[in-house]
Amino acid sequence: MPTTHRVDGRLHLCFGRPDPDAEAQLQIKQQTPPLRVIRAFPTADHTLLAHIHNVSGGVLGGDQLRLCVEVQADTQVQLTSTGATRVYRHRPTYADATQRTTIQVAAGGVLEYLPDLLIPYAGARYRQVTQIDLADNAGLFYWEIIAPGREAHHELFAYEELHLQLDIRAAERPIAVERLHLIPATKPLQSLARLGPYRYFATFYLCRVGLPPATWLLLEKALQEIAHILTDQQTTLWGVSPLPAHGLSVRALSMNSRALLAGLPHFWQAAKWALYGQNVVMPRKVY
Amino acid sequence: MSLAILRLLHLADSTFPIGATAHSFGLETLAAEGVLTPQNLQSVLGDLLWETGRLEALFGRLAYRCAGPENAPLAVDRWLQLNLWLAGLKPARESREASATLGRRFLQTVSHLETTLTLQQAQAAARAATVDMHYCTAFGLVGGALHLGEEATVLAYLQQSLMGLVSACLRLLPIGQGRAAEILWSMKSQVVAVATATLAIAPLDQPTPDLAACIEGVAAFTPMLDLASMRHPTLATRLFIS
Repeated sequence: MPTTHRVDGRLHLCFGRPDPDAEAQLQIKQQTPPLRVIRAFPTADHTLLAHIHNVSGGVLGGDQLRLCVEVQADTQVQLTSTGATRVYRHRPTYADATQRTTIQVAAGGVLEYLPDLLIPYAGARYRQVTQIDLADNAGLFYWEIIAPGREAHHELFAYEELHLQLDIRAAERPIAVERLHLIPATKPLQSLARLGPYRYFATFYLCRVGLPPATWLLLEKALQEIAHILTDQQTTLWGVSPLPAHGLSVRALSMNSRALLAGLPHFWQAAKWALYGQNVVMPRKVY
Repeated sequence: MSLAILRLLHLADSTFPIGATAHSFGLETLAAEGVLTPQNLQSVLGDLLWETGRLEALFGRLAYRCAGPENAPLAVDRWLQLNLWLAGLKPARESREASATLGRRFLQTVSHLETTLTLQQAQAAARAATVDMHYCTAFGLVGGALHLGEEATVLAYLQQSLMGLVSACLRLLPIGQGRAAEILWSMKSQVVAVATATLAIAPLDQPTPDLAACIEGVAAFTPMLDLASMRHPTLATRLFIS
């Protein structure tokens, strides 16, 4: 049983206000390579934007990475990556690469966590564990896009194992739970029950804790219209559904990442306007 | 023992009056779009059985154990937790609501047939905590409360789920009763394998395994079907509620 770790990267970010009238600030409580944040930028709507860097250029076999994010009360934060997360080939003497993320959003806080694609390379073995806790009236916009591999190198589902675990809890109840264990060699992902003919999949969670169920049913209808417009059965499917409480999820399957990256902001904009009366501000980077 | 078998056969029968035949759990969308065909039906069902079936079999098994041995009190909090977790694991509203509707009706119907304190407690607790009772957890709990045997209950749940999907496909696809029977007959060993696979997560010698660890051990990946269920409300013509 390989247990060797290559690196233990830690990043602990705390976003909050020193006093109620002050501007929100980022406090970096812990930062060890390869994870790094340089600084946080205020955006036009006073959201704090921070880019998470992985200075080693990707996740290597054996890497053990931990990201902890605290969003304090009444603070709006946008987090993104500086590029796609590349998960490199597994190295037999090392443990599976792991990324553990814990996020806490306090009352009235909002987190927009919008990373770029996750690209598992051929032979990669990767475990991602994400736990998000939302307090009353906390908001969350979180998307994730999973690629089949390096398409340009004709690597399609050539990774060994992808283990993705997500828990979103609100008021101490689970509202979204994902347990994905993808082993393309033994459980073909092209099965009609799984990805079918599509290669990329995306999930987008849009939450604001405490709103009544009727709000989500109305927003479901509005976002379903967007999903209907964006869906082209040959290339991309979109779907929308309320969570058991406090939010909605948008899901998509596509033949390419471009359609997903172009489509997700439409849902984000519509939901942010409906839930907060605000327009979205795209992260500062080239798409 | 023979009474237990008869009861289980009755509970798992498609005529048990809970409305199970009104749901396709997203298959109607795939059939309407021409993606689900008689040719690929069996392999799709096999993959669904491995993904969703295994998940629900595990939850049914854990729910069975909530009833505990004879005269034991219901593990109420654990039963509610199971239902909360399961709701979170079901991303599509229609399929989740279908599961909750069937679970509620199943418990209500059984409670009319057989009065047990365990089932009354479970329903009261779920109502008080505003927690939906899902079909697999209701089925498992009833199996436990009526002492129908854990293995038999899990197998019966999987069998009736599969029969429900095949029954829906009889109305959605150009397949006949004979072909449907062939599919169901040939998948019995897969049903057993799926039920057995859940024992690796919740072994029989651990009656109350750590729930979080169990849920960490489970996995389900059915995005095509989840999306089909999410898009089902927008179909122009629908035979099924879900």
